[in-house]
Amino acid sequence: MKPEVTQREVVIGAIAAAILILVIPALNAFVPEGSVFHVSNFNINLWGQYLCLAIVAVSIDLLWGYTGLLSLGQMLFFSLGGYALGMHLMLMIGKLGQYKSDLPDFMVFLGYPRLPAHWEPFYSFTFSMLAVLWIPGLVALIFGYLAFRSRIRGVYFSILTQALTYAACLLFFRNELTLGGNNGFTDFKTLLKFDLAQPSTQRGLYIASAVALVLVYLLCRWLTLTKFGKVQRAIRDSENRVLFSGYAAANFKLFVFVVSGMIAGLAGALYVPQVGIINPSQMEPAKSLEAIVWVAVGGRATLLGPIIGAVGVNALKSWASQAFPAYWPIFLGGMFVLVVLFMPKGIVGLPAQLRSWWERRQRAKQAEDPPAPTAPGKEARS
Amino acid sequence: MRTFILSRILAISLAALPFSHAGEMEKVARENAAAAILAPETEQAALVEALAKAPDPVLALIFDAWQREEIFIYTAPNGPRIPFQLAPQSEGSSEFKAIRIDNGEPLVAPDGAPFVFDKSIYKPVETFSKLRRAMRATTDLLALADPAPAVRQSAILKLGMKQSAEALPILDLRLEVEKDPAVRKSLLDAVALINLTSPDPKAQVAALAQLKKSLSIPSKELVAKMAENKTLPPEVSAAAASTLKAIENHLFWVDFFGTIFRGISLGSVLLIVALGLAITFGLMGVINMAHGEIMVVGGYATYLVQCIFGAGVALAPFGLAINIPGFNFDPNSALYQSYFIFALPVAFLSAALVGILLERGVIQFLYRRPLESLLATWGVSLVLQQLFRLIFGPANAPVYSPAWLLGSFSVGDVIMNYNRIFVIFFAIVIVVGTALLLSKTPIGLLIRAVMQDRVTASCMGVRTKKVNTLTFAFGSGLAGLAGAFLSQIGNIGPSTGQTYIVDSFMVVVVGGVGNLVGTVISALGIGTLDQILQTGLRNPVIGKVLVLIGIILFLQWKPSGLFATKSRGLES
Amino acid sequence: MKLPKSFCALALGASTMLGVTAPLQAADDTVKVGVLHSLSGTMAISETSLRDVLMFAFDEINAKGGVLGKKIEPVVVDGASNWPLFAEKAKQLLEVDKVAVVFGCWTSVSRKSVLPVFEKNNGMLFYPVQYEGEEMSPNIFYTAEAVNQQAIPAVDYLLADGRKKFYLIGTDYVYPQTTNLVLLEYLLSKGVPLENIGGGLRKDEAGKVISAGKYTPFGHTDYQQIVAEIKQFAATGDACVINTINGDSNVPFFKEFAASGLSAADCPVASLSLSEDELRSLPTKDLVGQLGCWAYFMSIDSPANAKFKSDFFTWLKTSTVPGIEKENRVTCSPMVLSYDGVYLWKAAVEKAGSFDVDKVRAVLESGAITFEGPNGLNTMEKNHHTKKNVYIGETKADGQFKIVEEFKQVYPEPFLKGTFVKQ
Repeated sequence: MKPEVTQREVVIGAIAAAILILVIPALNAFVPEGSVFHVSNFNINLWGQYLCLAIVAVSIDLLWGYTGLLSLGQMLFFSLGGYALGMHLMLMIGKLGQYKSDLPDFMVFLGYPRLPAHWEPFYSFTFSMLAVLWIPGLVALIFGYLAFRSRIRGVYFSILTQALTYAACLLFFRNELTLGGNNGFTDFKTLLKFDLAQPSTQRGLYIASAVALVLVYLLCRWLTLTKFGKVQRAIRDSENRVLFSGYAAANFKLFVFVVSGMIAGLAGALYVPQVGIINPSQMEPAKSLEAIVWVAVGGRATLLGPIIGAVGVNALKSWASQAFPAYWPIFLGGMFVLVVLFMPKGIVGLPAQLRSWWERRQRAKQAEDPPAPTAPGKEARS
Repeated sequence: MRTFILSRILAISLAALPFSHAGEMEKVARENAAAAILAPETEQAALVEALAKAPDPVLALIFDAWQREEIFIYTAPNGPRIPFQLAPQSEGSSEFKAIRIDNGEPLVAPDGAPFVFDKSIYKPVETFSKLRRAMRATTDLLALADPAPAVRQSAILKLGMKQSAEALPILDLRLEVEKDPAVRKSLLDAVALINLTSPDPKAQVAALAQLKKSLSIPSKELVAKMAENKTLPPEVSAAAASTLKAIENHLFWVDFFGTIFRGISLGSVLLIVALGLAITFGLMGVINMAHGEIMVVGGYATYLVQCIFGAGVALAPFGLAINIPGFNFDPNSALYQSYFIFALPVAFLSAALVGILLERGVIQFLYRRPLESLLATWGVSLVLQQLFRLIFGPANAPVYSPAWLLGSFSVGDVIMNYNRIFVIFFAIVIVVGTALLLSKTPIGLLIRAVMQDRVTASCMGVRTKKVNTLTFAFGSGLAGLAGAFLSQIGNIGPSTGQTYIVDSFMVVVVGGVGNLVGTVISALGIGTLDQILQTGLRNPVIGKVLVLIGIILFLQWKPSGLFATKSRGLES
Repeated sequence: MKLPKSFCALALGASTMLGVTAPLQAADDTVKVGVLHSLSGTMAISETSLRDVLMFAFDEINAKGGVLGKKIEPVVVDGASNWPLFAEKAKQLLEVDKVAVVFGCWTSVSRKSVLPVFEKNNGMLFYPVQYEGEEMSPNIFYTAEAVNQQAIPAVDYLLADGRKKFYLIGTDYVYPQTTNLVLLEYLLSKGVPLENIGGGLRKDEAGKVISAGKYTPFGHTDYQQIVAEIKQFAATGDACVINTINGDSNVPFFKEFAASGLSAADCPVASLSLSEDELRSLPTKDLVGQLGCWAYFMSIDSPANAKFKSDFFTWLKTSTVPGIEKENRVTCSPMVLSYDGVYLWKAAVEKAGSFDVDKVRAVLESGAITFEGPNGLNTMEKNHHTKKNVYIGETKADGQFKIVEEFKQVYPEPFLKGTFVKQ
């Protein structure tokens, strides 16, 4: 990413944001169904989900591309945010559920007589939306503090984040945690009194996801422009020198870790009402690793790369797991290996990579046939 | 196997009864059994139950044949219905002969001609649950004389738990002939169990003393009830309380040592799995997320060896049909049972081969980039998992344990399974072997040199590329061995590798990267801690979660693990 | 002017998204039918067989002319043992492919995940796998065994066998948890005291016992401690285990069980989720004499079953379904109940004269739809469940069951909680 904002970037960014936020929902709402420009409700819903995943990818890039911290457990924060809003949505079902009880369905069929105390505050939407931010933030704070304080770096840090998400996954699968266990939360009915089954609500959620993506992008872009962004990149490049220069690198890392955790939590909260279910399998290490794939394929250390990677890989997955179910994982794994080995800058960096490869070839060719000797004083300027 | 035992019962029991009445008792038993078979279903259970009064070993054979649907009824043209049993001509033969139940003679047609069995005409005589329970009354009594001590012990225990005074004479009779000390002990215990309900307080106290002496775990609940029973005379309830305390104390120690054993066995499994990873990670700085899948390669290799020793296997990868023939060894032969020994080197070599391919193909480009090696090997693990699914199918590969690994032996009620003891033993062998390899052999010297300072070693003329490949192959080979062992205690399937990867990383990170002793200690420590928490919390998962959190906290205190490799560079 | 690379990338992304989500078109003389099962992941072992038998049933029906003159066109989607993905695929089947009916799901959690989708889109799902009951959705028809058609008869059999102590163990999700809730009530009502119910008790905040049992997650492999507990529990000789472990965790459980020296005579294990299909990958030599309870066993001796088996195995030989296993196949209760479901649906559609979900539902609820399947007579009742036979079997060394008890035409009761009267 360039250190200053160019006009070209602003124009393209505005166009892209307009398409995402205004044009696509309009195509869904106002264009009749038969037309080729119509965006179906199914697709609005699907793309809304993709945009939420793109937000997570941006948060991963903030950590990895800019600060050099590879977190293999970012989906944990995503899920925590999702669960926080999910608890609110479960309580909003009220008597419309399968068992016509005020208790969430899974509590009824597990035999709980009344709502556990820690569920009570989630009746309030405000509290739940704040919880979407502070619960993942708190977990990130505690874990990050412990990790960065003891200078755990590099691979060890990644492995520890993987252990954290794995432990959380095991914990959330237990039914005794009263968070739905393997069933998770499902069968949502209303959000803020809007019926989730209505296309207009789904459209609204799509718009919210698009707006969130744009805001997150702007936030991260602004962050990279500040002095903070410079320190971030310095930590990525050589943490020891940053320490010698007098910066408390641990604090910077902690701040980024918490911010990216909160961003991921927000993404989770927007994702859950669109997909309609959340369950601990989102916290499995494999899901977090998939998210890393999006960022690597898209291009890290750019903010656009993760977005492209997330949307592109997921769209590809939806299609390929239907068309070639047997070969899709091989393709995904193989693609990942190739990207890591040969395309370290991802798709976004591909044009630059190709250009430099082309230039190298040209130079090699020139070296083979040396240029004709010119008279002194008339040397061609390179 | 069952006919073998039952025929032995017949032989030995007959030898144990030195009366000429043996033949007579058998004849009476046979006739009664025949009558029961012919009776209508509503009366069969009662008639069979009555047979328990005169238990003759031949009844066990008849009941067994009945339950295996080998008893039929022949209606002679002149009226009488004759039940008969279909038995092989001789052991293992496929020719059958019909034996009459009522007298044990071969069945002949009325005109003297030999009887021909037509499968389509005759349907076996049915059994139903009530009937089978009635049969068990007799077979339980006969089991008291079974040649296998374990069978005798469980039959005796069952009799004792019924707490019926009628069984006392039978048990006393058995005490006179029983030679095996363990069975004698259970006989005394069973007598004591029955005497717990005796009206005489002295007998009760004596019974409680016996149970206390033998620390009988099965009696715990009965004794506990007696200790709480206020209506009993004071000396009896006092004896009951002290017996209960002794048994509970014994149980505590059994649990304790059992947990330690299970912890060591789990630790050994973790150790074998993590050792390969410790070598590749520690000595080469490469994170291999495909380590679990390489393990599974070893597991599948074991499965293939098992199939080759047996009936062969048909695989269908990518639409091709590959039929691997087998040697078709007899499953009971020693040769077949030894397949596991042959499988071990095959597992090692096949996993090492996969490791070499992985190293040459992917990892050699990523040596100075640990994060990238993590990601690239994860991609490889996805590919490998799907390949397994395509070649072997999504279902798990059924690997049977060889007979010499089944069963367990107990030291004072602490049970230790043979397959777990084998794993512990082999873990020791592997660790010692690896340590010797690294410290005593020339190649080990090269490996250690490259690990300590790659550049200097290269300057000294060490072919670092070759050493890398060899080390990685060795680490992968160890993973293959781990897979072979895992096939004995768990599943081998396409996604088995994923279940162990997080645990193996934890072991390596806690132990200190590149340090064998650290890996051993951390594996055993994590395994034991996990089992202790499982026993203490009675919850299989919360313990694991606590262990993981504990590890995260431990790393606060020692960020580089137990035994950190000290290096001179700042960027470690 | 070169298009800025960001614009290209966005265009690429957008076109991919558009291309990916294009729906399939249906021909006029076919009817689309959905198949929603896990063809990969931890449940693939069990669920791929259901996909196979469904394709067999569709081919059988198409060979005889189809349903209402239309050939069945199956749309097969893979839930990949991932419950949120099941919901997404169900949405796809109903909203994009617009199928007339869906046959699918195995685990209760997958069913609970798709239930809201079916109710929202007024779809119809036929669910064939034994489950915990306490549910009756207007959009689901359960050919599965209800608790009183599986767990209760098994417990009755064990009680009559003289078993006094019951150790409950299962996988930690809704089916074992709810089944054990019901079983706890049932056992207490039969006079089994609380201390004879093993595995651990779950109490509510007031200290009242809600449920019992030991629960391990999907894919759990370490059963040492649990088997040691069971061994102690069974030391008195009159205990048994009710096993609701699902999926391949059964393998390490039974390996540990066999290695510890426990036999079916000492402590029989009644497994409610193990059928002939799962037994293929278990060490059956160590499992002789354990119990199973289903609405069908492959060893049922009837002409209908013999014909079904021979037709299915013949069909397998020439089938072109990708990745299908042709050797070493068995039939089991979920497969047969899936097969029954297809024919029940066909009968209802033909009686209603239409594929419309509401019309077909009305016909199914009338109680007039029956089908004589390989397992006997199935009748769809008003409560969306089927009346059928129930069998109890003992495992043999070859992985088959020997039928030891048969209950004819058991009426299904999905709602059992709170209905047991203490005896």
